[in-house]
Amino acid sequence: MVLAGLREVAAEGGSRALWRRRSLWRWLAIGLLLTWLILPLVPLVIWSFSFSWFFPSTLPSRWGMRAWEYAFSPTASVLPALWDTIVIAGGTVFLSLLIGVPAGRALGLHVFRGKRIVEFLVIAPTIVPPLAVVLGIHVVFIRLGLADTVIGVILVHLIPVLPYVTLVMTGVFANYDPEFEDQARSLGAGWVRTIWYVMLPAIFPGLMVAGLFAFLISWSQYVITLLIGGGQVQTLPLLLYSFARSGDNALTGALSVIFILPGLLMLLLTSRFLTGRNQVIGGIGR
Amino acid sequence: MSSRFKILLLLTPALFVICVLFLGGLGLGLARSFNYMPVIGLTEPSFHAYIAVFTNPEFYQSLGLSLYISITSTVISTVLAVACALLLRESFAGKRTVTFLFQLNLTIPHVVGAVAMLFLLSQSGFLARIGYLFGIIDQPSEFPEMIYDDYAIGIILQYVWKETPFIGLIALAILQSMGDDYESVARSLGANRWQRLFYVIIPLITPGVMRACIVAFAFTFGAFEVPYLIGKTYPTVLPVLAYQSYTDVDLTLRPEAMAMALVIALISTILIVAYLRVSRRFVRFD
Amino acid sequence: MFAKSIRTTGASLCLAAALSLAGPSSAFAGKEVDSDWPNMTWEEILAEAEGQTVNWYMWGGSDIINSYVGNWVAAQVKERYGITLKRIGIDSTVDAVNKVLGEKEAGVSRGGSVDLIWINGRNFQTMKQGGMLFCDYMQKMPNDQYINWDDPTVAFDFGIPVDFCEVPWGRAQMVMVYDPTRLENPPKTIPELIQWVKDNPGRFTYPAPPDFTGMFFVKHVLYSTAGTYEPFIGPFDQTVYDDVAPQLWSTLNDMAPALWRRGETYPADRAALHQLFANGEIDFTVATHPDSVGKDIDKGTFPPTTSSYVLDDGTVGDVHYVAIPYNAAHKAAAMVVANYLISPEAQLEKAKPSVWGVRTALDLTRLPDEWQQRFIDLPRHPAVVSDADLARAALPQPNSEWVKPFEDGWRKNVAAKN
Repeated sequence: MVLAGLREVAAEGGSRALWRRRSLWRWLAIGLLLTWLILPLVPLVIWSFSFSWFFPSTLPSRWGMRAWEYAFSPTASVLPALWDTIVIAGGTVFLSLLIGVPAGRALGLHVFRGKRIVEFLVIAPTIVPPLAVVLGIHVVFIRLGLADTVIGVILVHLIPVLPYVTLVMTGVFANYDPEFEDQARSLGAGWVRTIWYVMLPAIFPGLMVAGLFAFLISWSQYVITLLIGGGQVQTLPLLLYSFARSGDNALTGALSVIFILPGLLMLLLTSRFLTGRNQVIGGIGR
Repeated sequence: MSSRFKILLLLTPALFVICVLFLGGLGLGLARSFNYMPVIGLTEPSFHAYIAVFTNPEFYQSLGLSLYISITSTVISTVLAVACALLLRESFAGKRTVTFLFQLNLTIPHVVGAVAMLFLLSQSGFLARIGYLFGIIDQPSEFPEMIYDDYAIGIILQYVWKETPFIGLIALAILQSMGDDYESVARSLGANRWQRLFYVIIPLITPGVMRACIVAFAFTFGAFEVPYLIGKTYPTVLPVLAYQSYTDVDLTLRPEAMAMALVIALISTILIVAYLRVSRRFVRFD
Repeated sequence: MFAKSIRTTGASLCLAAALSLAGPSSAFAGKEVDSDWPNMTWEEILAEAEGQTVNWYMWGGSDIINSYVGNWVAAQVKERYGITLKRIGIDSTVDAVNKVLGEKEAGVSRGGSVDLIWINGRNFQTMKQGGMLFCDYMQKMPNDQYINWDDPTVAFDFGIPVDFCEVPWGRAQMVMVYDPTRLENPPKTIPELIQWVKDNPGRFTYPAPPDFTGMFFVKHVLYSTAGTYEPFIGPFDQTVYDDVAPQLWSTLNDMAPALWRRGETYPADRAALHQLFANGEIDFTVATHPDSVGKDIDKGTFPPTTSSYVLDDGTVGDVHYVAIPYNAAHKAAAMVVANYLISPEAQLEKAKPSVWGVRTALDLTRLPDEWQQRFIDLPRHPAVVSDADLARAALPQPNSEWVKPFEDGWRKNVAAKN
C-alpha cells in the first residue's frame, strides 16, 4: 500500500512534461474563467462614459460624461436612492442577524422534537419565490400603513434574507463549543459579558458572512421592493430598471457601476471569511 | 424543561417572522386566489381563478419555459461550479486574486447582471461589435440571437454567470473543510486522479452541492428581474406572467395572479420535498 | 365570548373616536379641500396648499422630462406657492393606477399616497370608470381659461369624455423615424410600408402590444385595413370587431415573417425599438412625441443623420394629461401644481426644444398676444416634423374601449401564431 502511494507520487512528481502540461491547462482554465467573470462588466463601464456608441463601433464614437453628470445631479435622485438602499439593507442586516443568530444557535447546538419541521420552515422561503408571498401580503400592508414605507420594505426583505442568515449561523453553531460559555459563567461573567466576550468573538467570521449575504440579498431586491415600496421607496434597483427600460444605455451603465460598488466594498471587508480556513459559507451546503 | 424553554425562546423571533410574514403571506395569497377576502368585501370563494389559469395555453408555455430555464441553468452552473472549486482548491500563484474575482459576481445584483448581458450579447452588442471588428459578421442579424430569443440563452447565461460562484464557493468550502485525508487514503489505495474524483470527491461534496443547487434552481424558477428585462415577450416565464396579471388594471385578474404565484410555490415545494427524500439516500458528510 | 365581543366593540369604538378626532381636527381651522372644496375660493385652496408635498407619479425613464419636472417645475412651485413637488419616477403609468386601485381595494379612501398622475388613454379610462378620480375642479383654476374644452381632441381622451377629471398637459403625435443616408425614399403610407417590409425582410419591427408604441403601430394598420377610423372613435362594437379583426390579424401575420427576427419575437418597448434602429438592426423606429426625435439626436441616442416624417395617410395623435386621484392626500396642492402646469410660462418652458420640446395643450388663440408670439417664435430641430405637417396628418386615437380587445387579440392571434 505504501509502495503504491510512493509509485504514484513518483509518477506525478517525476514527469516534468506532464506537470507542465497540467499547469498550462490550469492557466488556460483560469484565464477563461476570469474572462467569463469580468467580460460582461466591461460594456457597462464603457457605456457609462459614452456619448454616442452605435454598431459597428467597437468603442464609442464620442465619449462623454453626460451620464455621470446626470447621475450626480439632484434631479436624478441617485444619491437619495443610494441612501435609501443602504438604510434598507442595513436595517435588514441588523434585524435578520438579531433574529437569525438565536435561531441558528438553537438549530446548530440543540436536538429537540420538531427540529425537522423548524428546519423545513427555515428553508422554505429559499424555495418559495418571495413574489408569491408578497402578492398576498400587499393588501394587508396597505391597510396597516406599511406599504410605501421603508419599514414595510425592510420587513418583506426579511423573508428572502432570514433563511440564509439562519442557515449560515446554524453551520457556525454546529462547530461552536458552548463549554467556554459555562467556563466564563463559572468565573462569574454575566450573560451579557458572556455573549460579548465569548460567543461573539467565536462566531464573528460567521456573523460577517451572514451579514454579507443579508446585505447582498436585500441590496438586489427588485420586485418585492417595487410592490411594497410602491414607487415611494426608491431604491437603486428600481431606478436602474427605469433607465434600463427607457434605453438610456449611458445612464444605465453609470447606475450599474454605482450599484455594484457598495457590494464590492462589503465583499472586500468580508472576503477573507468566505473561503480559506475561516470559511463558514459551507453552512448553506450543510 | 428549562433547556426546552430556552430553545423555544431562541427560535421564537425567527418562527414569528416565518409564520406571520411568510406563511401569512402565502395564506392570504391562497385566500385571494379563491377570490375570498372578507376585508375587502369578497365573501364568496370560487375556483374561477384556477380554472382560468389551467385552461390558458399561455400558462403551460410559460411553465415549460420556466422549467427549461431553471433546469438548464442549474445543471450548467453545477458542473462549472464543481470544476471551478476543484481548480481553486489547488494552490497556484495569484490564487487569492482569482478567488476574490470568483466571489465578485456574488455581489452583483441580478438586475445589473441582466443589463450586462443585454449590452454584451445583443445582436448589436459588445460581442457582435468585436465580431464585426474581426470581420466575422457584417451586420447585426448575422450574430447569434441570445437576447429576447426562443432558447432564452441570454437569461441562462446570466444565471450561470451568477450561480456558478454561489454553488462553487459552497463546493470549495466543503472541499477545504474536508482536507486531504480521504484523498490520501484513496491515493494510497492506488486510485488515480479520475477515480479519486468520481469515487471520493464527488460523493463527498454531493449532499452540500445538491442543497446549493436546489436553492439556485428555486431562485431561478421564481425569479422575475432577468426574464422581465431580456426575455422574449411571448411566451414569458411564470413569475412575469403572474406579475403582469397582478398589475393589470383589470382587478379580476388578481386572483389569477395569486393562483399562478401559488402554483409556482407549490411546484417549488414539491421539489424541496423530493430533494429531501433523495438526499437522505446519500451518505451524509458532517 | 359575550364579554369579549363587548370588549372588542368598546375598543373599536374608542379607536373610531380617536380616529375621528384626529381626522378633521384641521377642519376647525377652516374649510378643507377633501370635503368643502366646492365652496372654497382659489385663495383658500392656495392657503391650504402651502407647505404641502405633492407626490407626482410619472414615468421616469427620461432624464429630460425628469429634469423639467424635478428641477424647473419643482423650483417654481416651491418659490411661488411653498409647495414641495416630489417626482416619483415609475416604470409605467399603470403602476400608479394600480397603486390607487390597491388602496381603494384596501379601503384607503382618504390620505392616499398618489397626489398627481401623468396619464391618458386606457389608464384614464380605468381610473374614471373605477371612480378613482377627483373631478370638476377646473373651474377653480385661473389658468383653465387657456384651455379650449370645446376642442374634441382635448375634451375626449382616447374617445373617453374627459368630463373635467384630468387637466391637459401636452400634445403628441406619432412620427416615423428613419435615416436618409440609409434609405432615400421611405414608404409614405401604411400599404406602402407593408410592401416595403416584405421587400426588405428583417429590417422592420414594432414593439409587442400592450406596449404603448406597439399599439400605435397596430392602430395605424387597423385604420388602413378598415379604410376608416370612424367606427373606432365610438364605443366598442363587437360586430365591427368581428368583422375587421381577422383582416387585421392576417395583414400583421402576412408581414410577420419579413419582420426583424422573422416576427418570432418583438422588442419589448419603444426603447428597445430605438436601440435596434440606432444600431442599424432595423431601418425604422417610431416616436410618439415628434420633438423627441431631435432630443434623441442631441443626446446621442440616434445617429446625427436621423430624420422623421409623417405618413400621408395620417398618423395618430393624442393629448396627455395630469389627474388627481379621488383619495389623494394633498388635493389642494395638487390642484395648484396642475394649474401651474397649464400656465403659459410653464407650457412655453416645456415646449422649448432645449428643455423638453413638447407641443402645448393650450389654445394659443386664448393667450395674450405677446405669449402667442413667444410660442410661434420657438425654434425647431431640423429633424423634427413641422407643426403644419403634423396638423395635416393628424388622426384621432380610437376609443380606449377598443384597446384591450386589440391588445388581447394581438397576443392570441399574432404573438402566439409566429
